[in-house]
Amino acid sequence: MTSPAASLSAVRVPKWAFAVSVLGLIVTYLVLQENGLALGASSGLLHEFFHDGRHALGVPCH
Amino acid sequence: MTTYKSLALRGVAAGGIAGVASALVQLLVTEIPIRAALAVEEARAPAGEEAGHSHGGEEELVSRGAQVVGGMLGVVIVGIAVGLVFATAYALSKRWFTGSTPFSRSFAFGAAVFGAVALLPWLKYPANPPGVGDPETVNYRTALYLGVVVAGLVIVWGASWLAEQLRAQSQPVRTTAVLLAVAAATAVVLLAFPAPPDTIPADMPVNVLWQFRLSSLAQLATLYVGIGVVFGLLIDPATRRVKASEKAAVA
Repeated sequence: MTSPAASLSAVRVPKWAFAVSVLGLIVTYLVLQENGLALGASSGLLHEFFHDGRHALGVPCH
Repeated sequence: MTTYKSLALRGVAAGGIAGVASALVQLLVTEIPIRAALAVEEARAPAGEEAGHSHGGEEELVSRGAQVVGGMLGVVIVGIAVGLVFATAYALSKRWFTGSTPFSRSFAFGAAVFGAVALLPWLKYPANPPGVGDPETVNYRTALYLGVVVAGLVIVWGASWLAEQLRAQSQPVRTTAVLLAVAAATAVVLLAFPAPPDTIPADMPVNVLWQFRLSSLAQLATLYVGIGVVFGLLIDPATRRVKASEKAAVA
């Protein structure tokens, strides 16, 4: 097995990786925090649908 | 295991698996105090009155059954999204326990992320079941919560930076110095951020409140530490070598 440090430097992170990460954060926001800022009227449904998960993961809620 | 894409796919898989585990904890553990808290909330509001948020009232937008399923689905989706970000951060990290195996690095990283984005906010602003939060303060509470999450991530990043700076020191000295710095930074964050703005309503039983909080913490630990463990299992060459030798033994 190669040394862990060597395998580390071998990982090349492409630029689109940052777009992917931002997408991940946006999805997290929509599930956990959407209160109407991003989606407007349809947010109520989303907000209520994910309601239990938001509470369970400790995110502030009404 | 040298491309970002292979790491990202394993991050998604790890997030999905840890998310399902966390969703099962929610179904079997966290839903118990949630149900108790909803009963307290329902007993409170006179029939027909909308408190701006339908927690199983008469004119509900989403049924209770759908909320249970949706909540579990939400945890799985968050797990996948966090797994993707986790894998990216792992691929970018050049100084995180560089002498350790990929499994140890991933496990330690998952534990650190749990501390930063779950345990620290939980200590400062403990999770509350339905029927506790004041709708008037939700944006303020959200800002405080996100502030603590960011502060926690800065502490983790700072710890690895400090460890790198002290690499000339012996390992016990370095570990002690980093632990002291993390403890000091944590204390500063806990003292600097304002107290939770809401008072707990008198009709919310203390045992329901704390059963919920501990369930929530268990669920967060399952999610974040789980991502670290599963991702580590998926990327460590040692686990693949076992499979190869098993195949060789069979053949």
